[in-house]
Amino acid sequence: MTGMIQGGWEFVWLVYGITWGGLIGYGIRLAREDAGL
Amino acid sequence: MKQRWEIGVAIFGTLLLVWSHYTGLFVAPPEAMMGDVGRILYAHVPTAWVGLLTYLVAFVAAIGALATGKAAWDAMVEATVEVGLLLNVLLLIQGSLWAKPTWGVYWTWDPRLTTCAIMVVAFGVVLAIRRQIDEPMRRLTLSSVATIIAFVNVPIVYMSVKWWKTLHQPYSSPETVDSAMVTPLRVAAFGMLFLSTGFVVRRWRIARTALERDFDAPDLPAESAPLAVEDSP
Repeated sequence: MTGMIQGGWEFVWLVYGITWGGLIGYGIRLAREDAGL
Repeated sequence: MKQRWEIGVAIFGTLLLVWSHYTGLFVAPPEAMMGDVGRILYAHVPTAWVGLLTYLVAFVAAIGALATGKAAWDAMVEATVEVGLLLNVLLLIQGSLWAKPTWGVYWTWDPRLTTCAIMVVAFGVVLAIRRQIDEPMRRLTLSSVATIIAFVNVPIVYMSVKWWKTLHQPYSSPETVDSAMVTPLRVAAFGMLFLSTGFVVRRWRIARTALERDFDAPDLPAESAPLAVEDSP
């Protein structure tokens, strides 16, 4: 385990936050488009 | 009646993603070298796999559109390029955020990263062409040709880690990934696949309705309509 990168959770949270934000945002956009908004 | 099976597929995909991301974040062990930063794997790799697959469908749809001239194929080009581009942009952001703690920089002109950036630009051009052209057949032809040209880069992206010396890690396989990490990774891949399928099908239905209206509209010059009204008693 020598040399393992320590910490870095802030990057992990950013990645998951942006990924879910992008997917949910696109889903909402599609739903609005479908509803003719 | 509106068909909505794709919403069920998207919800199922979302549930798989929630489970696999939870497992990847809190249950799976840290990666041997990258530690907890390695947990980005469960978001990044499925996004890459499904993004490339979506572009493959776009390529097939573009050939179908050129061969048939049908709105349904054209709508599939629009849907797959749009969803592929969403995944492609997410992929670049995820990759940059993973690069910083592991490589020390957010961006470097490495072959894998560079070809991925070219992919965003190339498929972005396809969507720009579609937004700019109003005439349906011209839009279908030009955007399909642009999709086929853009797709040439996709196998290059895939092979880039094999063809060139690159900072990016080579392909992973169940033999190179710990079994405790394989299951959430596989489930995340299926989750992303189902969710993206739901997105593509729903986007396709919306686009097809609009495009069929465009294709059926009489092809009259804009100035002839008021003349016809003026001539009528």
